[in-house]
Amino acid sequence: MAFTTENLRTSIVRIKDRIGPIGDEMNALDGRLGDGDLGVTLVNGFRNMSEATEAMPEDLGMALFHAAKAMTAVSGSSFGTLMATALMAAGKNVKGQKEVEWVEVAQLLQSAQDAMIARGGAKLGDKTVLDSLAAIIAEVRDEDSPDALLNKAASAAREARDSFKDKPNKIGRARVYADKSIGLEDPGMAAIVRLLEALHP
Amino acid sequence: MKKLINKPENYVDEVLQGMAAAHPETYAIGGATGRMLHRPQPVAQKVGVVSGGGFGHIPVFGGYIGDGLLDACAIGDVFASPDMNPMLESIQFASTGKGVLCIVGNYGGDRMNFDMACEMAAMEDITAVKVVVADDVAAAPPEESEKRRGVAGFVYVTKIAGAAAAAGYDLIQTQNVAQKAADNIRSIGVALTSCTVPQAGKPTFDIADDEIEIGMGIHGEPGVGRSKLTSVDTIADQMIDRLLTDKPVNSGDRVAILVNGLGATPVEELYLMMRRAKARLADLGAELAHIRVGNYATSMEMAGASITLMHLDDELECLLNAGADCPFWRN
Repeated sequence: MAFTTENLRTSIVRIKDRIGPIGDEMNALDGRLGDGDLGVTLVNGFRNMSEATEAMPEDLGMALFHAAKAMTAVSGSSFGTLMATALMAAGKNVKGQKEVEWVEVAQLLQSAQDAMIARGGAKLGDKTVLDSLAAIIAEVRDEDSPDALLNKAASAAREARDSFKDKPNKIGRARVYADKSIGLEDPGMAAIVRLLEALHP
Repeated sequence: MKKLINKPENYVDEVLQGMAAAHPETYAIGGATGRMLHRPQPVAQKVGVVSGGGFGHIPVFGGYIGDGLLDACAIGDVFASPDMNPMLESIQFASTGKGVLCIVGNYGGDRMNFDMACEMAAMEDITAVKVVVADDVAAAPPEESEKRRGVAGFVYVTKIAGAAAAAGYDLIQTQNVAQKAADNIRSIGVALTSCTVPQAGKPTFDIADDEIEIGMGIHGEPGVGRSKLTSVDTIADQMIDRLLTDKPVNSGDRVAILVNGLGATPVEELYLMMRRAKARLADLGAELAHIRVGNYATSMEMAGASITLMHLDDELECLLNAGADCPFWRN
């Protein structure tokens, strides 16, 4: 058992089917700090990606690549661009492979995180999805069961979201309201939690 | 808002349709969302040269598609970067196996999206590299020149890169000479009135009737400060002083000059600016080896002008004078 394009398709479609209420929640969260379009980005992004699933090739790298491309067609949102960046970085890592061992997922996440830091300019500790990813990576390293991996990732993401709640946002539009952001969940970090929860069969 | 338009949301696409209708031998509309402007046919056996960026600056960017210039261009909304997809489509169109150079203005969205497009192209085994145009001296001091916006200097970089590709330079050589051009270009603008983004419906900024702003960006970004409107000679002097402070012109230097209108300023006034610029540079003993006056990089109905200087060496001068053909640049 390993991670394949089929898993990617299933994951995308599963999230797409459950994204409606998540989108509403994220729009509301993001509206308090940012421009309120995070939910729209997620809804449109997963709709685009799910439309792309049928044509996804068995080469997992190229499949991730198709997903990234679909995500970039959601214009105007930095979150969308960063998600596409993450998918591409992961895809580059496995270009030419039809599957990847579950234990290597942490490495894919790591390369996604590196690429997002390089492109977006945020650092760890800025109260962004990067902090969620860091927590997830630390937790799922060496995990080879997909179910355990998902559970650990979701609980790491929840913990990251909650532990950063009382810290200020240090980048992006929310930085302007740094003080106001204390006590509020970061919308991106909250989104990661919901997306992982939506992945449960 | 007083514009000759239909629905604001159709502005960009309808302008593209007009360009393709007027010049079918030069422009064709393509891409999944109709936001890739390209030559009717790709040119085989050469490095591809593409660009892309927000709309509202015609001829920049897409207007410079043509022989010895761009092969394709990604088109954004007014003053907004295109997403990655038309950029990738442009790269794919221009790719004939020798790689593709992307000429990118120094704006966050344009850079980020072109970076992604280049990475995507690499996954399809197309080598695409970029050169960033950052010529506006008013946007940041020399020690932070990487923060400068890209303005009319784009025209020269495009001309040089397009000529190099047509002359058979390989990808790295084309990138290097385009970078050399970019390093030798300095621009500064002056705004007299605001532009109006069609979908916004009102002027981007307020400026009094008797005020100008030197250094204002082509989207209305703040310049080096407001001042009272004075004579064109005085304004041209202030602009040229800033250019010379940033990169001196010495006796015997050969330079190219572009006196550019931002959209609503009569060409006659541009010639007044040219007259003064010529006198100033002649005083320094420089030779104006290449001169252009007209609307080459605009900001819709903004009134104002910019001056761009490019220091030339033999290679740049040769490429600048090489054959090129598009509705906005011929030689």
